[in-house]
Amino acid sequence: MAENKNEYSVEYGDPVGMIAAQSVGEPGTQMILRSFHLAGIESTISTSGLPRIIELVDAKKKPSTPITYIYLDGKIGKDFDKATETLKKINEVRMSSIAKRILENFSKGKIKVVLDKQELESEGITIKQVAAKIDKALNLESKVEDNGVVVNMHTRNLKEIRAATINIMKMLVSGVDGAGKATIRRDDKTGEFYLVSAGSNIEGIMQVEGVDKERTTTNDVFAIYRLFGIEAARNALAFELKKTLKEQKISVDERHLNLIADAMTASGSIKGVGRHGLSGEKHSVFARAAYEETLKHLIHAAAFGEVDPMRGVTENILVGKQIPIGTGSVKLAIKKEDMAKIKPASHK
Amino acid sequence: MQTEVIDSIKFSILSPDEAKKLSVVKLTVPDTYNEDGYPIEGGLLDQRMGVIDPGLLCKTCGARAKSCPGHFGRIELVRPVMHSEFSKIVYTILQSTCRNCHRLLLSDEHIQEYRSALTKLENAVEDVEPEAIEERVEAGSLPMLKRLKNMKKCERCGTSKGKLKFSAPTYFYVDDYKLKPDEIRDLLSKISQEELEILGIDAGTSRPEWLVLSILLVPPVNVRPSITLESGERSEDDLTHKLVDIMRINLRLEQNLNAGAPQIIIDDLWELLQYHVTTYFNNETASIPPARHRSGRALKTLAQRLKGKEGRFRYNLSGKRVNYSARTVISVDPNINLDEVGVPLEIASKLTVPFYVTTWNIDKARELLARSEYPMAINVISKDGKRKRVIDLNREELIKELQPGDIMERQLMDGDVTLFNRQPSLHRVSIMSHKAKVLKGRTFRMNYCVTPPYNADFDGDEMNLHVPQNLEAQAEASYLMSPQYQVFSPRDGDAIITNNEDGITGMYLLTKDDTYLTKEQAVYILSIAKVYELPKPTKDGLYRGKDIFSAMLPKGLDFTGKSSKAPFVIKDGKLVDGVVTKETFGRGDNKLLVKIGKDYGAEVLKDFIFVSAKVADAYVTLMGVTVGVKEYTTSSKLEAERVRLLEETFGKINELIAQYRTRKLEPLIGYTLRQSLERMIIAELNLVRDKAGETLLKYETSEENAAVEMTRSGSRGSVLNIEQMTMFLGQQATLSGGRIKRGYYTNRVLPHIVPGDVRPGARGFVSTSYYSGLAPTDLFMHAVGSRSSEVYKALLTARSGYLYRRLSNALQDYCVDHDYSVRDANNNLIETIYGGDAVNPVFVQFQKLAADEDK
Repeated sequence: MAENKNEYSVEYGDPVGMIAAQSVGEPGTQMILRSFHLAGIESTISTSGLPRIIELVDAKKKPSTPITYIYLDGKIGKDFDKATETLKKINEVRMSSIAKRILENFSKGKIKVVLDKQELESEGITIKQVAAKIDKALNLESKVEDNGVVVNMHTRNLKEIRAATINIMKMLVSGVDGAGKATIRRDDKTGEFYLVSAGSNIEGIMQVEGVDKERTTTNDVFAIYRLFGIEAARNALAFELKKTLKEQKISVDERHLNLIADAMTASGSIKGVGRHGLSGEKHSVFARAAYEETLKHLIHAAAFGEVDPMRGVTENILVGKQIPIGTGSVKLAIKKEDMAKIKPASHK
Repeated sequence: MQTEVIDSIKFSILSPDEAKKLSVVKLTVPDTYNEDGYPIEGGLLDQRMGVIDPGLLCKTCGARAKSCPGHFGRIELVRPVMHSEFSKIVYTILQSTCRNCHRLLLSDEHIQEYRSALTKLENAVEDVEPEAIEERVEAGSLPMLKRLKNMKKCERCGTSKGKLKFSAPTYFYVDDYKLKPDEIRDLLSKISQEELEILGIDAGTSRPEWLVLSILLVPPVNVRPSITLESGERSEDDLTHKLVDIMRINLRLEQNLNAGAPQIIIDDLWELLQYHVTTYFNNETASIPPARHRSGRALKTLAQRLKGKEGRFRYNLSGKRVNYSARTVISVDPNINLDEVGVPLEIASKLTVPFYVTTWNIDKARELLARSEYPMAINVISKDGKRKRVIDLNREELIKELQPGDIMERQLMDGDVTLFNRQPSLHRVSIMSHKAKVLKGRTFRMNYCVTPPYNADFDGDEMNLHVPQNLEAQAEASYLMSPQYQVFSPRDGDAIITNNEDGITGMYLLTKDDTYLTKEQAVYILSIAKVYELPKPTKDGLYRGKDIFSAMLPKGLDFTGKSSKAPFVIKDGKLVDGVVTKETFGRGDNKLLVKIGKDYGAEVLKDFIFVSAKVADAYVTLMGVTVGVKEYTTSSKLEAERVRLLEETFGKINELIAQYRTRKLEPLIGYTLRQSLERMIIAELNLVRDKAGETLLKYETSEENAAVEMTRSGSRGSVLNIEQMTMFLGQQATLSGGRIKRGYYTNRVLPHIVPGDVRPGARGFVSTSYYSGLAPTDLFMHAVGSRSSEVYKALLTARSGYLYRRLSNALQDYCVDHDYSVRDANNNLIETIYGGDAVNPVFVQFQKLAADEDK
């Protein structure tokens, strides 16, 4: 690489980290209220702007609005009906959302689940299917009765019946666990149908038939990390940062965002930038003490006899030394004493 | 060059012996001054610990207040107490060791296991940095700690661990028996060095029994100076107050012990002593009431001095106060170059620059030394480091004594390198180097083209000026921080120092197709650009504006703008086609400044920006450009159009609502019917806003309208701004980004609105304009929007400030190595090649342009 250096290259000692931080931090205040640019028909309800940047940089385990973009295999993507079919396989439906109410009959040891017909219809589920699901989950026989399912518990134990009720309420009726509510969208350019779901169980979603595994993606960086590993997570992180800033019409060179993503993933796992992440893991006691939780770090250092190697910026500022960055990182290649040993080159 | 180097700093715990050696006096009297106002010997302000009153001599080192560093004293506690901050660590140790045999609870095999793992780790990574090993050992010992915690009895001697309880901040119980500090100390002191090392404690420098205090080190008086109030009353520092408390209880405890007082009284006093020592270290210790001043204010003790934004670390160590700086209000001066700053004479005569006297400049130095007004010498620092102020009395003598090697401090003069800064310093271009230009007046003067990087304006902003004090610093400042090298932002490589405001308006007006100047005007304008050659006139003896602009361009420039709207072509240094707008100078694809910077260098680029802005100002002044009410007075035609547009939109929306009511509305894919309706209405309202803008530009075609001309040139104001003044304000939004929906109870904004009304007017759409005046309800809606955005702004600045602090703290150590890899402070690899291609973001636009040209 070194031979490709030209006048546009970075130079030795360039404080690229600080510049990356400034490039994201400085326009932070410019991320304005979306007042005049009200959401058009196309936009989604996902977190955006500064809150999203903070969420990414903090390495939150779960994004506040997880979203999975599910693309479909060739033919299915072109056909609305087939796409809808796939949607039904994915769309997460819980009993609590289709049940009107649940009646417990403790004296007879029976539970009756009254279903909402309209909901059933819109989700495309039959009562029989629901009954079968309950049977399978509780290992019992249930009967279909006019607008609901009746489960005979064969017991009058209050605790058992109540536990079963809660179980039934939480039960997954159809779709992929953790996929969230899925909706169908159409790409205006290609006319292709794709799905957007408000969950991030990308692993489960990808196992559904008809899902294009190559293009399907999510905004949940940790889901990507778990499924594809750290390099993919780095890319996802950088991509999400870029996307969020682009939405806000703030132009930041991608090198800065890549560096932030690289810094967060360099250790092999995703680390946030705060006191529990990169800043909290610095070697320098002073750097940590000057950042946050001053006492904690000083106390720990004293008890365990820590040594501050004085190689970072903060600690050198604290003691009034030159910082080892930029022009301060230039050192003498030859010691003064050794200079005497060198004979001047003879010119012919 | 720095000479002294701190290689590393090791932390440890002070042993009682060391504390004794370190202190110069044992304090015995729990008081400060005697009746005569003289420090009591053996008291807390004993003069052996240093002095604070000027004129007095320190009884230990004999120096005066200014040069005495202060000396520690000590309090010998009659009964030991726990150090509250360390009690958690003490708890861990007690939990891990046997109280009978004083060894780790684990059997020999287990210990051997851990120890061999440790040595293996150490041997395996011998070439790795020692800190890295330490870190791994710490991590490795964690599961061991967990194991120790869960041990019920000692594996070696079989003694039961009992129920060990720790009650914050300093109490320990074994099977409900309260351990006294001296008992804890005995337990800790019997643990061997090897055992402690397994726990990760460096027992050579930090023995755990030292965490039980028997000797309390008292900081020197200059750490806790007393203040004399105007009334002559002495007011002591919080630390002194706390130390008096400790000594008082210590003395009482001693007296009671000597008198053989009952155990219960002793224990009470002991506990009180513990409380005072605890709050002396940290007055915010959890589950303990803070010690208070007589006024009820909580005392600021040691921990409070270090902690937080106003603490020692962040306030005094990370941020230091400096000399050689000045601050005043800024104001504009287009005649000052981009890399200059106008400095008031008053400031210039107080700030000094070192003048290194050599055999070659000694005459000049003597000349300055001889002067007694403005450019004169202030101090002379002789070779032996003695600084003498130049006054009329010693001037002659100093001139005579001056010799090469001396340093003379002279007043700031034209051309001196200074650093100019405006806070908040959010990015590196918030501090740039400007050459001083000493001027009359009391404000800093700057060119308005450099305001964007500072984010400065002239409505009362103040800025800081610093004078670098050695040649290395001056050289670095002028070569790295000069505005001419900072024209392009490190954020995305776009120009950040550019023409703006009138600098654009003027250029725009000058380069319009129908701009012709008389000879008189042309000569005047060109003289400002310092061009003394007239371009070829037209037949009528007039001069084209474009030709005047061309005269300022660098010779032989070829450039084709990529602006989408109109072509912009420069051939051989002549503007052939196109009008200069914001786009020409600013962001986006039209890279005139990039082109000049790439082909002609920073100096030419700087001068181009400076000259074109100055010329633009002169032209605007010559022609007169003003904005008034007439710019925003609507014609009846436009008013009719406004009414038609709104009626059309409202009609469409009413139709949508009607369709929704009858359930005939086709829902958008993926949305419920209700969400679809809302989205469609918002889309309609956005559409009418855009349409209104278009209509406005269609009807206000006259070039007489300065407001519209300004918008066209891009110098100030957007179509939306004019639209809000002449046509209607449009939709007001709330924090959530949607339309306003609440305010009065039951699902409506105002009492007169029918609940559930979703029509534009009921949900924050304002159809009146600033010019026509807002209808009362509209005013209310507007206020909702304004408040909302104000609240959001306050929220956002705090949040983004913290984000910035965290980011910069995490990334500040990263820098580029010789092989273009990015490394952190410990040389860990972050990126193998910066950005994948080692391109500096400042030059990305250059590189793109170069790539385009190669094609």
